[in-house]
Amino acid sequence: MTLKLGRHEFADDATLMMAIVNRTPDSFFDKGATWAEDKAFDRVATVVEQGAEIVDIGGIKAAPGVEIDAAEEKARVVDFVARVRAAYPSLVISVDTWRAEVGDAACAAGADLLNDAWGGADPELVDVAAAHDAAVVCTHTGGVTPRTRPYRIEYDDVVRAAIDDTVAYAERAVAAGVDPRSVVIDPAHDFGKNTFHSLEVTRRLGEMVDTGWPVLVSLSNKDFVGETLDLPVGERLVGTLAATAVCALAGARIYRVHQVVETRQTVDMVWTIAGRRRPARAIRGIQ
Amino acid sequence: MSAPAQPGRPRRVALVPGVLALLPEYASLVDPVADLRAAALGAVGWLAEAGPVEVVADAQGQRVAAHLLAEVGGVATQPLDAGDGPVLVVANGTARRGEKAPGHLDDRARPFDDRLAVALGVPAGAAGAPDPAALATLDESLAGELLVGHVAGLRALGRLLTPERRAEVGYADDPFGVQYWVVRWA
Repeated sequence: MTLKLGRHEFADDATLMMAIVNRTPDSFFDKGATWAEDKAFDRVATVVEQGAEIVDIGGIKAAPGVEIDAAEEKARVVDFVARVRAAYPSLVISVDTWRAEVGDAACAAGADLLNDAWGGADPELVDVAAAHDAAVVCTHTGGVTPRTRPYRIEYDDVVRAAIDDTVAYAERAVAAGVDPRSVVIDPAHDFGKNTFHSLEVTRRLGEMVDTGWPVLVSLSNKDFVGETLDLPVGERLVGTLAATAVCALAGARIYRVHQVVETRQTVDMVWTIAGRRRPARAIRGIQ
Repeated sequence: MSAPAQPGRPRRVALVPGVLALLPEYASLVDPVADLRAAALGAVGWLAEAGPVEVVADAQGQRVAAHLLAEVGGVATQPLDAGDGPVLVVANGTARRGEKAPGHLDDRARPFDDRLAVALGVPAGAAGAPDPAALATLDESLAGELLVGHVAGLRALGRLLTPERRAEVGYADDPFGVQYWVVRWA
């Protein structure tokens, strides 16, 4: 099925790079490098040049920290969305928010996609997506409160829980009027999950793909990579790409990333191994 | 689709190389043989206009020919004695023309291809008259050493062509260390 992300449509075998653009002073990977609006705008230019199809603009870091209310979140995100929309008409603009109020303003400013990393914590977010004909990412968090860390959460079957919750969220989105072509599911590595959970979700990602909903994975430099390899933030690219390869082989469609070029190469290589993409230019031995 | 062959007119004959990259199962995102493909399709389309096409090729070349014919809506026919329909020969020059060629560099490769080009009537890619006797007596042993593609097909050209024919060159190059020609003889 065609994937429709707001103004943009993609064939059902296309893979998409969603580049993270933080309008935050404190996100774990970039530590405020793109907090200033011009720095964030430069980051957009860079990732577009690198071939990202989507930018995911966020105004609040995922981890606990200083409370950011909706007004402050909008101040960080909405005008910036409008600026990116004007400069890059063909770019998919995603906004990383769980708040319907912020999503509404962002969509009015030109956002195509609402990336709700907190699993539907605000039930009106899907109504906003429907009203703007925007797409929505339905994540699994195990029901935790936004901006909390997992603490002694266990599942009978984490993949079953992720499928049940994301599919239920997807169906709720469609019932609210979101175009079925505009609904994406995401197991949400490390959200409501310890490292063992995130590893199992990675290993069994094909079960999520088998639901038929397009799957987004957000693996980039996360703690499950760091704990698996005992490496700090900043040294997790290789581990991230290994996890990316496993998810690509399983058929994940959208990759939320810090490093666009490396992830694109990894996904293209695996997608081609899987027989879903042609080599770029092959002549050796068949000339 | 195709007009019947007309008795008394010379058979249309064409040569294309047996390049596996022309086959859909070996397609890339960017076609590495786009120019060659265009020339080959042009030549095969020209043959198919004149009726069912007799194919002279080895097993791999038959696959290439079948694909090209399918692309232009043509049909292949069984070889017929003394037939007068169009003929497609699938063959090419040496594959040892440089250090990156499939058979690495052999200094005899380029002179061999040069002699073969003269025999085909396409010296240095220009149009000329073929030399059927030279084609019919190609050195099979040396051709084998130089990895010539389907030398029997090239020798068959010696029986199909006459010195009165004129070659029309659609393609003459060696982009990957293998000498390709696309030629039509009207």
